Amino acid sequence: MPKIDVQEQLFFELLGKSMSLEELEALLPVAKAELDEKPDMSIPAQERTLKIELNDTNRPDLWSTAGLARQLRTYLSGTTHMYPFFSAEGNLQKAKYTINVDASVQEVRPYISAFVVSGKPISDAMLRDAIQTQEKLCWNFGRKRKSVSMGLYRINLISWPVTYHAVDPLKASFAPLGFESVMNLETILNEHPKGKEYGHILKGNKRYPLLSDSKGHILSFPPIINSNDIGAVKVGDTDLLVEFTGTDMVSVALSASIVACDFADVGYTVEPVAVNYSFDTPFGKMQVYPYYFQLPTTVDVAKASALLGKSISTDKAREALARMGVESEIHGQFVKAWPPFYRNDFLHQVDLIEDIMIGIGMDQFESEKPQDFTIGRLTPIEQFSRLAKNIMVGLGFQEMIYNYLGSRRDFIEKMCLSDEGVIRIANPMTENYEYVRPSILPSLLQSESVSAKAVYPHKIFEIGKVAFIDHSTNTHTNTRQRLGFLSAHGTADFNEAANIVSVLTYYLGIPYEVIPAEDSRFIPGRQAQLMLNGKSVGVFGEVHPAVLENWDITMPCVAGEFDLECILQERK
Amino acid sequence: MAVTADSIKTLHPLEIRVLRTYKPGDHLTASLLCSDLGFVEGQANQVYAWLTAKQLARDIERKVYNVYELTDLGKSWLEKGTPEQRMITYLENHGPEFIPAICTALGLEQKDIGSAFGRLSKDGAVGMTEEKRVKLIDKQKDTLSLAIQAVLTRVQKAGGSIKEFELSKEEQATAGSIAKKRGAGDSPLKLVERETITWTLSDAVLAIQEELKSMPEQEEIGALTQDILTNGTWKNARFRPYTITNRTSRVIPGRHNSYVQFLESVKDKLVSLGFEEFDGSLVETEFWNGDALFMPQFHSARDIHDVYYVAEPTHADTIEEPYFSRVAQTHENGGSTGSRGWGYTFDRAFSRRLILRSQGTVLSAHQLPHAKVPGKYFGIVRCFRYDKVDATHLSDFYQTEGIVLGEHVSLRTLLGFLEMFAVEIAGAKDVKYVPGYFPFTEPSIEVHIKHPVLGWFELGGAGIFRPEVTESLGVRVPVLAWGIGIDRMALMALGLNDLRELFSYDIENVRLRRTVMRGNHA
Repeated sequence: MPKIDVQEQLFFELLGKSMSLEELEALLPVAKAELDEKPDMSIPAQERTLKIELNDTNRPDLWSTAGLARQLRTYLSGTTHMYPFFSAEGNLQKAKYTINVDASVQEVRPYISAFVVSGKPISDAMLRDAIQTQEKLCWNFGRKRKSVSMGLYRINLISWPVTYHAVDPLKASFAPLGFESVMNLETILNEHPKGKEYGHILKGNKRYPLLSDSKGHILSFPPIINSNDIGAVKVGDTDLLVEFTGTDMVSVALSASIVACDFADVGYTVEPVAVNYSFDTPFGKMQVYPYYFQLPTTVDVAKASALLGKSISTDKAREALARMGVESEIHGQFVKAWPPFYRNDFLHQVDLIEDIMIGIGMDQFESEKPQDFTIGRLTPIEQFSRLAKNIMVGLGFQEMIYNYLGSRRDFIEKMCLSDEGVIRIANPMTENYEYVRPSILPSLLQSESVSAKAVYPHKIFEIGKVAFIDHSTNTHTNTRQRLGFLSAHGTADFNEAANIVSVLTYYLGIPYEVIPAEDSRFIPGRQAQLMLNGKSVGVFGEVHPAVLENWDITMPCVAGEFDLECILQERK
Repeated sequence: MAVTADSIKTLHPLEIRVLRTYKPGDHLTASLLCSDLGFVEGQANQVYAWLTAKQLARDIERKVYNVYELTDLGKSWLEKGTPEQRMITYLENHGPEFIPAICTALGLEQKDIGSAFGRLSKDGAVGMTEEKRVKLIDKQKDTLSLAIQAVLTRVQKAGGSIKEFELSKEEQATAGSIAKKRGAGDSPLKLVERETITWTLSDAVLAIQEELKSMPEQEEIGALTQDILTNGTWKNARFRPYTITNRTSRVIPGRHNSYVQFLESVKDKLVSLGFEEFDGSLVETEFWNGDALFMPQFHSARDIHDVYYVAEPTHADTIEEPYFSRVAQTHENGGSTGSRGWGYTFDRAFSRRLILRSQGTVLSAHQLPHAKVPGKYFGIVRCFRYDKVDATHLSDFYQTEGIVLGEHVSLRTLLGFLEMFAVEIAGAKDVKYVPGYFPFTEPSIEVHIKHPVLGWFELGGAGIFRPEVTESLGVRVPVLAWGIGIDRMALMALGLNDLRELFSYDIENVRLRRTVMRGNHA
């Protein structure tokens, strides 16, 4: 979920009114936003920023000062804003600027959208906001520049038309942003910080995308880096080219729409750019951006009323949608809604129903006591586990609860086991949390190893889950509910463990039937398997001194572990 | 001190025997009590201390005196003789000899033999030959050794120690010459200073003694034994009262874990509200963990940095049909759910990828194809996250989730449930809702509550499952889905402030933790 810096002064200017932070906090939920950090009031107002967290990952239009202000302004006024510079299907704007797209980009990064902003020099606040938009939009919405990346250019250095093509990495060179020296594309990927960060997006391609003008000057190497001249935008520049490239045409088009609206809101003139493809695209070969590609969605207001639990009229629905920036028209019980220029998050009518809910206001919905009668119950294994737990507590044992992830050292090596059957994580964050525990015993032994100073005896147990590899299941793994216990004190011996097992089996209603076990974690000849209907349901005995030594334990320990699910199933 | 029946009751039987035997003014000492009453010295000293503390006795005199104690060397002298006697015996048997040879033969140090020679030659018992060998002159001249032997024998017979004033003047002189206060290891006697306290009963005992006269000399019972109960002697005895304010020794009980008890109390509460519990496997497929919840396969929360992948095996064999195909289609173009879908090519192999469950909602998805209508289900289940472990993040932790299915459930019913949870589970009175965002619910809301201790905080998230989720899994009615965060309340209830403490390995820590009483706040 993105967090953005909002320019406080610009924000309230765009909102059209100023308000206290408390009032703002009350209004922010409309945009699923919350104030993350209060501004530092010692800083002058024109330099202050509000830190705001945006929760809706499908609303990238809110991730800028202008975008957030637009939603809140619309909500307060109930009127939507029109942006006349948009083209639409069958209604393309006349464009002064053209980008030609060569077929060579089709394999690597096929789509591009662009527009020009003019009319006044770029201010510091707007440049900072544009750079933030670039980061947030391309990181969260553009999947770390993979599906969308953005570039800004000084238009007075460009000779039109611009060409978007893909070239041999060794045959194109330019000075990337922040560098004076000329490098070829391969060198940029290997040596420029942005090349190292985003180079993986292009790896494996024979040719890399390039944006150059009619004189062969390079604008940028998308999605990696701008050039150090045309692409070095600074405060005071007028007339900028803004472009987006990517792998998903809808995302590339929407990004241009969002940023164009942001610039328009702060008083810039947005001029269209024509894009001519030499191959076919979902939007055809010839396009003009910013482009309104969104399709209307129809919401059944009866359905909305049922889902929200409140009778809503079509007029009310239309009005609520307008507060969310959505234009609509009524057709009987249906309302046909057009997404705003800068939004494309209506996949289903339920998305509109949510906007109706927000537009009406959460405080307009009263809670209703549930009517349906249902019988509550715990799972059988939870009930059985509680039975076993009470027996263990009666035997003087302290119940423990442990984490399920651990290290190879703790779960395997210290236990004198092989790693066979143990579930390993392919992408562990650290080796301390690399395996899923196959048994409760290492958790209990770890407790004992850190508790040598605690007054003895130590009698502990846990009822919890273990998981291991089991090729007989669909997921090749098995999760089981088990009971593990450990008793550590000067005279802990097999008899004690056997007594505990005898009491447990009696009260769990199963026979005490044991056969010799051969488990490397226990002393040979002092360990047993608990048998039920010919199946082994657990093991117990004196913990082997080799295991104790691995855990730095110098107190005799007896322990055992039983599969409660198996016992529950077999006793039926 | 006022005399009451209580003050007599608190007297120890040893004190009562003293009070019954002596009167104020009698000069009492430990040795007197030992000989008169058969006390051992420890008991006599104890009674003196107790009575003095109660101001029933006072000191008359404290006299310091010396005691000689027999050392290991003294015992060896008694057994083998003094070094002088051993030297004389050697010379008698072997004739004149050089000093070093005598040392070697007797196993004594040169300085001991040297000083023995010095004294014996002074007394005229031995002399030196011209070639510097020691020779015996007259063994009768060694009278000192006999005197030493006599003193050592007396000390030994007195039990290893003797009071100086019990010895004669001559004996005192001899003992003094072979005793040391400190470093007595190389002398046969150790000199120790002792104190004799002469004390007497104070007048305050008169009243108690008067009281005691009227009381029969009853047997007093300390520990109640099986014998006493069998033979009935308790009927004519009195029970010595104990000092009830004394702290007893540590008892370690068997106990439930307080965090588990907290979780169980939430489960019980949900059951009482009509919810049926679900549970499932720790290892999941991408299908159930994400696809079935209509999270696109490229969703950022499905990234390698958010979900743990199982290294081996990597994939499940199959995904249950018809759900697999329906979900795939819903992702691609909405299928028959009325959605336009995400518009990308669904990767079926990716769906079978094995991962560790990252969200409890997975189990809600699993439940949907088998759910009853109306139906309410919940689970408090362990989930795994790719997070750096610290005070507020764990690699595995519990999530509390649930669903409600019903023909007529709506946003307002959902608010009704959330309000019940706020009151019944969190003990909150004030609840507010704001729009929220979750990939699998629309509309989505967040519920904030005013907790009596923690103040306003987000209790959880909820919403109505998207039709893309429910219809693909064969459910035609609206499904309310909710998740509540109970860990902050658990920490508060347990008096902790670090999530890692909930899963503490420290036995002492866990067994000293108090049990949480979760009342019904309604």
